[in-house]
Amino acid sequence: MSILLNRKTKVLVQGITGRIGRVQTKWMLDYGTNIVAGVTPGKGGQEVEGVPVYDTVAEAVAERGAEASVFFIPPKAFKEAARQTIDAGINLMVVITEHIPVHDVMEIREYASEREVRVIGPTTPGIITVGEAKMGIMPANMFSPGRIGVISRSGTLSYEISINLTTAGFGQSTVVGMGADSVVFASIPELLKLFERDSDTDLVVIIGEVGGVQEENAAQFIDRWMTKPVVTYIAGHNVPEGKRMGHAGAIIQGEHGMGIPQSKMAALREVGVDVAMYPAEVVELVKRHLTPS
Amino acid sequence: MKLYEFEGNDLLRREGMPVPDYALAATPEEARERAEALGLPVVVKAQVLTGGRWLAGGVQTAYSLEQVEEEARRILGLSIRGWPVQQVMITPKVDNVREFYLAVTIDEYHGTPVAVLSAAGGVSVNRIALERPEEVASRYVSVIKGLLPSEARRMCRGVGLRGAEVSRVANMLSALYRVFRNYDALIAEINPLARTSKGDYLALDAKVEIDDDSLYRHPELTLSLDSRIPNLLERKGREIGVTYVELDGDIAIVASGAGLGMASMDIISRRMRPANFLETGGAITAELMYNVMDLVLRKEGIRAVFINVYGGINPIHEGAKGVVRYMKEHQVTIPVMAKALGNHQEETWEIFRNNGVHVVNDVSTEKGVEQLALLLEGEK
Repeated sequence: MSILLNRKTKVLVQGITGRIGRVQTKWMLDYGTNIVAGVTPGKGGQEVEGVPVYDTVAEAVAERGAEASVFFIPPKAFKEAARQTIDAGINLMVVITEHIPVHDVMEIREYASEREVRVIGPTTPGIITVGEAKMGIMPANMFSPGRIGVISRSGTLSYEISINLTTAGFGQSTVVGMGADSVVFASIPELLKLFERDSDTDLVVIIGEVGGVQEENAAQFIDRWMTKPVVTYIAGHNVPEGKRMGHAGAIIQGEHGMGIPQSKMAALREVGVDVAMYPAEVVELVKRHLTPS
Repeated sequence: MKLYEFEGNDLLRREGMPVPDYALAATPEEARERAEALGLPVVVKAQVLTGGRWLAGGVQTAYSLEQVEEEARRILGLSIRGWPVQQVMITPKVDNVREFYLAVTIDEYHGTPVAVLSAAGGVSVNRIALERPEEVASRYVSVIKGLLPSEARRMCRGVGLRGAEVSRVANMLSALYRVFRNYDALIAEINPLARTSKGDYLALDAKVEIDDDSLYRHPELTLSLDSRIPNLLERKGREIGVTYVELDGDIAIVASGAGLGMASMDIISRRMRPANFLETGGAITAELMYNVMDLVLRKEGIRAVFINVYGGINPIHEGAKGVVRYMKEHQVTIPVMAKALGNHQEETWEIFRNNGVHVVNDVSTEKGVEQLALLLEGEK
């Protein structure tokens, strides 16, 4: 079954007529994604790669039955577009957009959670259910179908670790980019819960990084609820305090050094997670639990 | 973007919060003039974008004009946590009988604003929360509904305030929440809010940080971002549109993502020392990578450049053209090693190989770094 997305999911692309929207729509279609519509206000009636474009999400839902939406729109347009999307009844939003004001993210997070709409991102490479469909920008040649679920706070590291798993004969079920902002829509525990229930996933890899408390909360969840093995790598062992390391969320701050990777690693190790010191070591740790195909 | 104390004060005042009069001075003589105009005694306060001013001796009360000049001269000569003091604030000394701590910030994990109030101001609220939790109230706030007056009052009563003080402090908390929301703040903090011997309330220190991604919608904040980055190379990085953090080694890192950049740091640190962290985000073009090469090679004594890029949203073959053009034009002779995977990877390898860049023939960064280390050892 995999999680969140499969080959049947009816996908909408918002910002489909933009430069990035066009290119990525082609690559998502090439991968097999069931893209049923695109939306760009004022461009209704056009087509991109054979996909019909609508002015509003409500039209795309009414006429094409769109149920999930991937965003390639500018940060300034995000808040209104997201409200419109939630109101139109879409139940999964994947927000690739970077640099959205954090107050807008908080507003949409509250709005979406009141309506039970799941949102992934922002600043995420997206979601790929390997061999079936992708909503996002990840290069398809990094992945191969298999039984490892991947949750990553970093886009590029999800590619790095997936290609290393792939090369070693370990495929992936679904790979989810969490998003790299200080406030993101979904949490690691929320995604772990989905993988724990997924009959196509045998093991979960968490790719964390310096900053925030996602990994610490993941450790608590794993301790209470996970039966499947978990392997992790946390990036940024020696980053200087108080510097944002490219991601808004990747920062060590305050007198207690909140967000340091060593405390994340310790918390995860304590609940039985195998912690890799370097990315490719994830493959070695996976071998303790699974045999390559 | 962090604001100076006086900028924070101005925002508080705009939302109806009482703040003391102040004047700025960049020289001891100026400080004296300002103090004379405001009336003695005054407090001389370093204006820097970091905490720890008290401990560093950056805040001092002065009772005579001579003392103002003397303290201003001393404080203007300080460097506090790497920030040279370029301005001091002169503000009348306030006789306070009670201090409070007020803050509105973001609980990042829950993705929601949180308001914090402590009846013990002036000191570390974290310590108070541990030692005397009954003196601290905190509360999640609905970002859609805002901080309701009833919620603010409940917080005040929760830390033991009674009578008129409840509504006075609650009003301050509401004003602070407006600063937080109206200016897209990541944190808005007053430490302390003072009740004076006359019964007035005054915000004596403001700490405000604004979300960089929201600056486009705040033309009223005519603040320059670049002057707030003390490191030249980091400022240059910002100008060309990348994140650069200077480190103390000699192997330059160029990565197309933050996670990959940090992982590269982790791996290189095993046997060599990274000179910097650099990540391009999803905006790679030939020109950007040309500028990136220029940036990382500005630092003295670089022994090699390690490029680690993925073609997802980034056209890495275009980026490769910029790298090799820079190398040709500037006759770069130190080793440049590139690991490049994803869309257009073969094309990228070809551009690199034909122009003297070593291409990593493995999918792991560990192997790439190993190859670089061997190359550098071979050169010795």
